[in-house]
This record gives sequence, structure tokens and C-alpha cells, in this order.
Amino acid sequence: MNKDKALEDLFLAQKPQFDDREAFMASLNKRLDAVEYIKQHQEATIRRYKMALVVAFVVGIISGAVTIAFLLSTPAEVPLFTFQVETGILSWLAANSRLLTATALSLLITFGLISIIGNIQDIRSMRVEKSF
Amino acid sequence: MTREGFIELVEREQEALRGFLLYLCCGNKDEADDIAQDALVKAYLSSAGYQEKGRFRSWLFKIAHNTFLNHKASLRYTESIEEARELVSSTAADASFEHQDLYLALRTLPPKERSAITLFYLNGYNIKEIATITEASEDAVKKQLSRGRDQLKEKLKL
Repeated sequence: MNKDKALEDLFLAQKPQFDDREAFMASLNKRLDAVEYIKQHQEATIRRYKMALVVAFVVGIISGAVTIAFLLSTPAEVPLFTFQVETGILSWLAANSRLLTATALSLLITFGLISIIGNIQDIRSMRVEKSF
Repeated sequence: MTREGFIELVEREQEALRGFLLYLCCGNKDEADDIAQDALVKAYLSSAGYQEKGRFRSWLFKIAHNTFLNHKASLRYTESIEEARELVSSTAADASFEHQDLYLALRTLPPKERSAITLFYLNGYNIKEIATITEASEDAVKKQLSRGRDQLKEKLKL
């Protein structure tokens, strides 16, 4: 496609000039500083949360293992809970009551720990922000 | 790319980028500079993935063009030419700009046509390069240029 000469001349004759180049770059540098700060803060937060998750995972596994060991150490022939009504699913639940309880407790402990550690991290990060 | 390297390239290209956006914003310098700053921050954040050696300007223009379109979409511009006239005369339009007719005529074009026309006539890109920058097909760019040129010539009485 050929250029329209009159239009091209009009555009080129009115090519904008900027006399605030340094102010523009200073403003850009300020924005980039802010971006760098946010990036560092985000990376640190992600690192902290990852660590918190690993800690919660390990503590959860240990707590779960201890809970299971405790449950298995109690008399095996006595179920932890029974139901008045006898149906297929309820019988199965009663038969596996020890294992199910152990799993539920482990999950509860893990989620509880994640929540607690997350809250502690939030409080600590708030302290760091305040000290700025 | 290091920050120093990025700043060095931007210093070289800032005038072309700001000029391009000034035309897209039809002479509204504050708006153009704001979009330019946003585009440059986006470019900086994605500069790690920049691999088109020697084509920094095109890459920058592509980001600026997308930022401009997003900006327009968020504002949902519906101004008529009269409103545009008021805006250009009442806000921080390019003070050194003597002939606002071109800006006003550009304002009547849809954003994509405006981009194609500006890249073609102001920045000297060819159709293939414009297609890459605006992420459109070459046929679409040709149509945008043809429609835009006819409309501008009619408005400017060229």
C-alpha cells in the first residue's frame, strides 16, 4: 500500500517533541522502585507461606502418626463409636471407626496448624510493615 | 535484561513511544504519558522474556498498543467530536501543538484504525510490522489503513 503524501507530510510536520524527558525518566524510575519493592515483598511472602506449609505438613504428619498410634494402641475389638440403627453404611462406619477417627483428627490437626501458622505469619508481617 | 539495560533502551525510545501514544490519545499528553508509564512498567516486568534482539521498539510499541486498548476498554469512550474538541482545548493537551485538527480527526477513528494510521504515517512501519505490533492480519491492517486514510482525508479536507 502506498502512502498518501499529504497525510504523511502532515504527520511528519507535526511530530511531537518532548522537553520533559528527564522528568519522565525520573517518574518511571520511581514506579520501577515501587515495582521492585512489591516484587521483593511478594517473593518474601510466598517464601514464608511455602515454609509455613512445609512446617504444617510435617507437624500434621507427625501428629497424625501419634494419633493413629494412640488409637491403635487402644483395645481393637471395641469400636470407638456405634449406631443404634443397623444399616450397611453405618455398620461399615462403626467397623472402621478407629481408622476414620484417626484420619479426621489428622486432617483437623493439619488444617488447624496451617491456619495458626498463617495467622502468626500475617501478624509478623504486619509488625515488619509497621516498623517501616 | 538488567534494570540499567532496560532504562538505557527506554531512554533511547521514549520519544518515539510517547509520540505514538500522544497521537493515539489525540493530543492528551497526561493520558498518553500515563499509558506510556504503565506500558513501560509492564515491559520491565516481562523484560526477562524479551528475546527479540534489536527489535526493542516494536516490542515496546506492541505492549503500549495493548495497554492503550485496555485503557480505552476500561474507559468506554463514547465522546463525540464536540466533546473531543472540548477535551483537547480544556485539558493538558500538547501545548506546543499548533494544529489540533489532526488530533480531532484522529479522534473520530476507532482505536485500532488510529493505531494503524499512526504506526504507518508517523512511525514509518510497514504493513507486516504493523500486523505484528497490533496482532492483526495483514489484510485487516490494509483495511484499517484504507478506511482510516479516507476518513482522515475527508475530515481534514486534504
